[in-house]
Amino acid sequence: MSEQNETQVQPSLQATVPEIKDGAVIVEAPSTWRTIKREFLKDKVALVSAVILAVLFLTVIIWSFFIPKTAVTNVNIIDQYLAPGTQGHILGTDEQGRDQLLMLVASAKNSLLIAFMITVIGQVVGIIIGLITGYFRGVVDTVIMRIIDFWIVLPFIMIIIVLVSIVPKYNEWTLIWIIGLFAWQGTTRLIRSKVLSESDRDYVRASKTSGSSNFMIMFREILPNLASIIIVDSTLTFAGNIGIETTLSFLGFGLPNGTPSLGTMVSAATDPTVLATKAYVWLPPVIFIIVICVGISFVGQVFRRAADARQRLG
Amino acid sequence: MKEETLLSINGVSVAFKINGEFYTAIDDVSLELHRDEVLAIVGESGSGKSTLATTVIGLHNMNATQVTGEINFQGKEILELSEDEFNDIRGDEMGMIFQDPLAALNPLIRIGDQIKESLDVHSDMTEDQKQARVHELLDQVGIPHPERVAKQFPHQLSGGMRQRIIIAIAIANKPQLIIADEPTTALDVTIQAQILDLLKDIQRENHAGIILITHDLGVVAEVADTVAVMYAGEIVEQAPVETLFNNPKHPYTRSLLRAMPTIDSESDELYVVEGAVPSIKDMDRNSDLFAPRIPWTKPDVGHPVLKEIAPNHYVRGESWREFKFKDEL
Repeated sequence: MSEQNETQVQPSLQATVPEIKDGAVIVEAPSTWRTIKREFLKDKVALVSAVILAVLFLTVIIWSFFIPKTAVTNVNIIDQYLAPGTQGHILGTDEQGRDQLLMLVASAKNSLLIAFMITVIGQVVGIIIGLITGYFRGVVDTVIMRIIDFWIVLPFIMIIIVLVSIVPKYNEWTLIWIIGLFAWQGTTRLIRSKVLSESDRDYVRASKTSGSSNFMIMFREILPNLASIIIVDSTLTFAGNIGIETTLSFLGFGLPNGTPSLGTMVSAATDPTVLATKAYVWLPPVIFIIVICVGISFVGQVFRRAADARQRLG
Repeated sequence: MKEETLLSINGVSVAFKINGEFYTAIDDVSLELHRDEVLAIVGESGSGKSTLATTVIGLHNMNATQVTGEINFQGKEILELSEDEFNDIRGDEMGMIFQDPLAALNPLIRIGDQIKESLDVHSDMTEDQKQARVHELLDQVGIPHPERVAKQFPHQLSGGMRQRIIIAIAIANKPQLIIADEPTTALDVTIQAQILDLLKDIQRENHAGIILITHDLGVVAEVADTVAVMYAGEIVEQAPVETLFNNPKHPYTRSLLRAMPTIDSESDELYVVEGAVPSIKDMDRNSDLFAPRIPWTKPDVGHPVLKEIAPNHYVRGESWREFKFKDEL
């Protein structure tokens, strides 16, 4: 609709003020995307990482739809530990004789999905609580921040292991919520500190003089101004959450049996003979995890630099 | 010409909490604003003029501020309103114009949507009506091609245009009271005149009352009807604008007027009022607060009070009767 209006309103103007066209075409904060693009072009490592990540994510997500459930649950002892390339198993087979490549794709999908959900929970809760504490300050802020201080010093891996062990009938959603309990504190702190400085700005006061309610000011005025740090934070915590989930699964307290995870695949290496003689069993998931986490971290750095002008390269 | 009282401020004092202790920033200020009147509040930095304005529109952080006294706006005691009741008035019956137009606009929201904000809160217009009103407002504040500007972001506009946007936001709901906090400070002189004319026009149209906060006496002379001069959180002199400029009484007012360069002054040097407004931590509210800056004059004993020396002309204390500038002694 906006484009139509644009052309109806005095077409002669287009010639004198060329930036109108830009304004109409680029919808969301034009400069941000341009900055990110420039940062990527300056940082070749991040650019390569981004391409690799995109290819890996797309492959995993699309391929996982075509993997039959039986491929990851069927046990076939006869095909145990086949070397890569034999009988059509490109990456060989594992202890149960399952195809390693299919296992890798299915595991990666589960691990990524779970890390993603945890990130979403952590970000949503963290943003809401951070906005409330930073905006209202006073007693609300003090109480919530002291609770978070306490929460952060808790040894969370141990608590998650305990919770996972005592929760009955547990599935991947239970795991997501349990890890989610410890995923929002850092985000809350970050958002709070930014809201503290934003809410002193004149545009917040101006909005107040327009009669906007606190709720509207928090979500309509302040939240869009936090977009850049939210992008950075969610990217980097996403990588962290992959690490947490695979760690737990490696230890045997992560995803339940029957739901493959990169962590459970790596845990095949706890068998000394496998570790020493059958690297093809545990190496692919390890490489996958490293590539994903390092790649996300490089891409996250680009976002971070784009969000903070002082760190920019381009 | 006027007489219908819009806003009356009665004995208002404001204290800020600094390191756990309350310090008075505004001491017992009383003012009255009528419809169709421009009341200018003048004073140097730190004299409490902006504090007074933010008190009227309720922007103080109530955790750290103590406000006493009465502010009556169209029959409502606004210091007793709840946050929700206040939000009904703010942006509807009163609007505020900020000093720095770039800071007062949200950098990530389109101009049209920012103007629409107070319409969203206070009116039950349809989207189309709001859109039309936004364009009408932009047109009213003298912005060419409203349809285009409404879709732009603040950084795409010039300073003068941004200040016009701020004004459009403040007047969106035709408020009765407009508080303008140094509306022209961030602008160059030619734009200043345009903005002041615009304010005058809007006032005439809506029969609004304007509180104009400024330290620019040129602006005061141009638009104000009544002037209140503030020093250290108190009103030291209040008079109709002609009286104040032609017959200033209080030493502070006289110093301010003298500090203004004039075209026919013989000297190349500007007059300087020595010293500065004391920090609110160091103010002794039981003394003549301006006396330390004119040490050659005998100060008032105790705390001077505001007296009406002629109809509508109020001056604080008695020391003005004998006050002479240093070079006149």
